Amino acid sequence: MVIAVTGMGTISACGWGLPAFWRTLAAGESRVGEPREFDTAGHRTRLVAEAPPPPAELLAELGSDPRWKRLSRAEKFAVAACREAFEDAGLTAEDAAGAGLYFGGSTAAMAEGEGFFRAITGRRTDADGKNSRPRVAEVAAHPLDAPAGAAARFLGIRGPVDSCSSACASGALALAAALDALRSGRVEVALAGGADSLCHLTYAGFNSLRAVDEGRCRPFRTGRAGLNLGEGAGILVLEPLERALARGRKPRVVLAGAGASCDAHHMTAPHPEGEGASRAIEAALADAGLDPSAIDFVNVHGTGTPLNDQAESRALHRVFGPRAARLPLTSTKGVVGHLLGSSGAIEAVATVLSLQHGAVPPTPGEGEVDPALDIDLVIGAPRPVDARHALSTSLAFGGSNAALVFSRLDPQPAGDAA
Amino acid sequence: MKIAISGWGLVAAAGCGLTAADRAFGLPELPLREVDRGGGYHRPSGARLAALVDEAAYQPWLPARLARRMSPPSRFSVVAAKIAMERAGFAPPPAAGEPRASEPGSSTPPLDLSVVISTSFGPSSYTEELLRQIFHDSPTAASPFLFTEAVANAPAAQVALALKAFGPNLTVTGREAGPLFALDHGKLDLENGRAGRALIASVDEMNSLLHAGLDRYGALAGSRRPRRGKPAEIEVARPFDLRRSGFVAAEGSTALLLEPLDEVLARGGRPVGLLGGFAAAFDPTAEVASYGREPGPTGEALARELRRQGIALEGIDAIVSSAAGSRQGDAYEALLLRAVFGAFGETPLPPVLAPKAYAGSHGGALLGFTCWLLDGGRPAPTPGFAEVDPELGIRPYSGESLPSAPRLLLSAPAVGGGSVLQVLEGLPR
Repeated sequence: MVIAVTGMGTISACGWGLPAFWRTLAAGESRVGEPREFDTAGHRTRLVAEAPPPPAELLAELGSDPRWKRLSRAEKFAVAACREAFEDAGLTAEDAAGAGLYFGGSTAAMAEGEGFFRAITGRRTDADGKNSRPRVAEVAAHPLDAPAGAAARFLGIRGPVDSCSSACASGALALAAALDALRSGRVEVALAGGADSLCHLTYAGFNSLRAVDEGRCRPFRTGRAGLNLGEGAGILVLEPLERALARGRKPRVVLAGAGASCDAHHMTAPHPEGEGASRAIEAALADAGLDPSAIDFVNVHGTGTPLNDQAESRALHRVFGPRAARLPLTSTKGVVGHLLGSSGAIEAVATVLSLQHGAVPPTPGEGEVDPALDIDLVIGAPRPVDARHALSTSLAFGGSNAALVFSRLDPQPAGDAA
Repeated sequence: MKIAISGWGLVAAAGCGLTAADRAFGLPELPLREVDRGGGYHRPSGARLAALVDEAAYQPWLPARLARRMSPPSRFSVVAAKIAMERAGFAPPPAAGEPRASEPGSSTPPLDLSVVISTSFGPSSYTEELLRQIFHDSPTAASPFLFTEAVANAPAAQVALALKAFGPNLTVTGREAGPLFALDHGKLDLENGRAGRALIASVDEMNSLLHAGLDRYGALAGSRRPRRGKPAEIEVARPFDLRRSGFVAAEGSTALLLEPLDEVLARGGRPVGLLGGFAAAFDPTAEVASYGREPGPTGEALARELRRQGIALEGIDAIVSSAAGSRQGDAYEALLLRAVFGAFGETPLPPVLAPKAYAGSHGGALLGFTCWLLDGGRPAPTPGFAEVDPELGIRPYSGESLPSAPRLLLSAPAVGGGSVLQVLEGLPR
């Protein structure tokens, strides 16, 4: 069964919506900078890739809705990205009733839960300097599946709502779960992806590991010193190709395969030779029925940490052999930072857009590409490619790896523009 | 491909290992302990007790030198996983050095094993401690060790390390429905050739902050303040009972090993049961911290999915429910089950078991109880139940005879809107 991507939605430091995301990505503009809302006082580093406030049109529609007002930041990202993807795919309320939602994230409403914790331990004060009371509502959305549930409620989804939290591989694993569900006929259409928001737990945590660059991150560059944390969401609408065509939709691309593996090597460090990552890539290629030679470019995890980028480049060499040195690579981390649980999802969105536009976006970052990695990192400007198949990789804490293969549909079937 | 449960392991307040299951599920008394209130999170009144795991109970499976590098949920999961591997007939990991899962009678070949673990809140105590470091001391005081073990997928990663499991590694988060989602993901890993075997588990930890939060929310039995002239409520789960007032907080883990039935039999294993149909649906009328208002349509959607898979509910010997004593949750589940069975023209319902009445409310209770039942365990009549709630019309299990190889329907409606059903087939012993 061929599974088509018929809609997408995204939120990141680039803005709310697909056009802002692709425009910024293609321009290679880093959106990592000083935060407007997230307070980095007291932390070792200061930079983040923070999402801007919701656009006026969205607030005009939802801003007075009490359900929207109650949502955590991560839930708002999830709801808005799902709505955009839903509309992009031209789905109806009837479609929602038969749809499933497959969702990944790492911290859900931790940012709001931190407020509760500060209040309940007397570390939060009101404007008048008095201790602020903890509000139970602040922890209501603490369960890790809360963003998925919020999106399902807003869209009226009645199929399975399946949520996962496998650190930085979550979004990609959610897409893999959706692929399984569609192939088995459990759902007619699936929304899949993830959302995460900035919070102190992860910001301090990654800093404690010395995994955050004090400046803007420099994926695959000599002297790279870590990641920058970002926030946002990425959602894809998936459905059988026949179904999409039957309702007159022109698919963006096809999700051809998914693979997953575990390093079982170390809690935080990837396997230095990229053993686990290479197995995930090979599994995805096998699932797609493709030889490694078919892949035209790779949207890599590329966090900018010394260990990740080394392990990932070695994984690519294990799978692609000498061709790995000539395979165009790009990482979104230099533009939108590391979206943790939703990084795999937003990278899937970027991969789809790259296939559609026939261009691999550049990876911003200072310094020369590390010659020891022996890779072809796209830098400076988008590189035109006549790409048919692309790979997106995610490597997570705990050794969990995921890989996705997207393919352009040639020849493009007739149908209304998506 | 028929998928069998070939092993299972339990970590609970009643102890660890398969013999502890007799205490966990066979006795009407739930071992409760005082929750640490030193953090100052609790109200003066309210629930005080929970079913907590005793550290000493899991030391035979996890030496202290390894346990100290893990959060409690990681410890629970690793121990439950090791017990499950042993029950499946795999040689225990070497006593010293890196534990290594192995083929029966051998200690070397690694398993092509996927790991799927369900958790609702992740490692709560390490998260709490990390927040304390960040907000009470300084963000730069955050411990890298605590952070590493505070991430939700730390238990799945630790299980993979302990068993050298190189297959897919997934942590699912569907609250009460999570354990059955995990079971289904493991099954799909095998059916789709993503792994040769799947270790699935459910784990929850009950720490002081989480307990206080649930108590403030009024979710726990014993949460309600004493009223004038009436004694304070106590921590007793009363599934489906007219006087139910909340669930009993608990922690623990259950792990299951899934394998193709043919392979279990070929190596002389003793399968516990077979996985049957699975159905999941969502009720969008639920709020983030409540159940939905449409159990009927949700139940009908679940029934449609089972029917699509060719699953019939005739011959279901018992329902293993998630009922835990929640006023809203038990009512939702009762109406959901009626809708499901009504859609199949099957009324009345078969006996309804409520594992959380015996073991408290944690994700491992549902799976552990079910495996124990399939392995020949027989529970006492449902503790805490005294009077039928006429709106629910369900009298939970009261000691009825169950066949030696029962066909079970597991039911897991979740706070937040998710609902899942799973059919399990017992095997002649």
